[in-house]
Amino acid sequence: MERESPLSPEGADPLLSLEGVGRRYGFRGPWVLRGVDLAVTPGALIRVEGANGTGKSTLLRVLAGIDAPTEGRIVGRPRTAYVPERFPAALPFTAAEYLTHLGAVHGLDRPAAVVAADEWLERFGAAEYARTPMAQLSKGSSQKVAVAQALLADPELLVLDEAWTGLDAEAREELERVVVERTAAGSAVVFVDHDPRRLAGVPDATYAVVGGALELGAGKGTGAPAAAVTGPCVLVEARGRRGTRVPPEAGELAIAVEETGSGAHRFTVPEPQSDALLRALLGARPPWHVVSVGQADDPDLDDALAALEVESS
Amino acid sequence: MTALLRYQAALLVRSQRWLPPVILYAAFLGVGVQSGQPVLDSLGYTAAALLPVAAWLVRICATNEPPAARSCTGAAAGPGRAHLACVLVALAAAGVLGTAATVIVTIISAPTSTAHDIRVEPLPAGAAGLLAALACALLGTAVGALTNWPLLRSPGRAVPALLLGALLALVVVGSPARAAITALVDGSQRGTIPVPALPVLAAALCAAAATALACALTTRRA
Repeated sequence: MERESPLSPEGADPLLSLEGVGRRYGFRGPWVLRGVDLAVTPGALIRVEGANGTGKSTLLRVLAGIDAPTEGRIVGRPRTAYVPERFPAALPFTAAEYLTHLGAVHGLDRPAAVVAADEWLERFGAAEYARTPMAQLSKGSSQKVAVAQALLADPELLVLDEAWTGLDAEAREELERVVVERTAAGSAVVFVDHDPRRLAGVPDATYAVVGGALELGAGKGTGAPAAAVTGPCVLVEARGRRGTRVPPEAGELAIAVEETGSGAHRFTVPEPQSDALLRALLGARPPWHVVSVGQADDPDLDDALAALEVESS
Repeated sequence: MTALLRYQAALLVRSQRWLPPVILYAAFLGVGVQSGQPVLDSLGYTAAALLPVAAWLVRICATNEPPAARSCTGAAAGPGRAHLACVLVALAAAGVLGTAATVIVTIISAPTSTAHDIRVEPLPAGAAGLLAALACALLGTAVGALTNWPLLRSPGRAVPALLLGALLALVVVGSPARAAITALVDGSQRGTIPVPALPVLAAALCAAAATALACALTTRRA
């Protein structure tokens, strides 16, 4: 089993670490998790895999602080938000009222919570349901409320247990973009999803829960860029002031950066991360000028990716 | 914590699940307390009936959120703090209910001893009644905290345990609630007004210990 975390860029202090964590239910129950070590650093995106009933959800609940480990310990407790797989919303509130309450629980003051509730419902295409009683929401709409709840107060650690389940296609993509945004902003995200294409290529690390232990995913998504390219990519051409360096955030998001002229750069970025890259470029000081954005399908790029794959293997 | 308390209080009020215990309490007092009866006897009855109501209110608050929503709140604020807010809101609701009932009963009752021969001042009698009601609300909260999530999760066990616990808390020798009620009834017979402060203190300790145990177990028994 893997004891070393690959997620310690420049010795960043982990937001939260699990040390020899084990969890079982009842005094004589079987161990659901055993001997789990995991460090979650700021900005880390971690995918957890495993067959049904292997303890993925338990691991996520321990990370979210909803479950205490039976043995071992947890160091650190960042501001945490959790999204469950199903959110049966038998609550006597409208969506906006519930989100305002939860925003306040997450530490926002009331006016900020009201604004954040509206913004996040709008972002997930559920603004029209803001005044609808939760009990009347469809399954997908209540899942949107559950997702919005977690994002209200910019959590430092976002734990998503199959949060995409039940969302419509647009909301699923939006949630992928939000995850990338959050990690680019320095939050850590840990997620489980049954769809292997979910955020394909983006996670910094993939772990599998096998027999209660945590194994670092073999060969995929371990931070090597070439291995990460499995989904569609976007090409972004942008120009910075002469002599400026590529903003580090943008450099991290892109899987390939190529200088094409004085100050002009071509970034290749996995599709879910393209918005975050543009935000990083436009938000840099001084800001970069975005010349063009397009699908990455030209032969040059394919060659470049092929070269990268050869390099890494 | 303020946000959690507001959220839990709004849940309780909006859910309207507080209606059955309040109606039952009112009906119980309507049957058992009549105007013109000796004040301390009636106040003892009022306090005793509050104990199961307080335990019931804890059950309502502890089960108001579906588990998925409880997980969201727990991740945001810590499951222990979230549960503490549940219990405190239930206790506050029982306190409001008990205070209202005590005030009304004090006003409509006769300011006399059981034999109607010695005068009992209504104001200090009402204060003694408030203390007894507080002791019962606190002990009922302790019973509710010990017989609901996270200690007992299936309704099939929780509800009988709650009823049995409430009954025992009223009749077992050494129970602070029983001590407070007995003090009122004895005082009524002698025509003196007791100050059941010690039972209140003991009941508060019970409630604090039970709540601490329940909050500590929120992350252990999911």
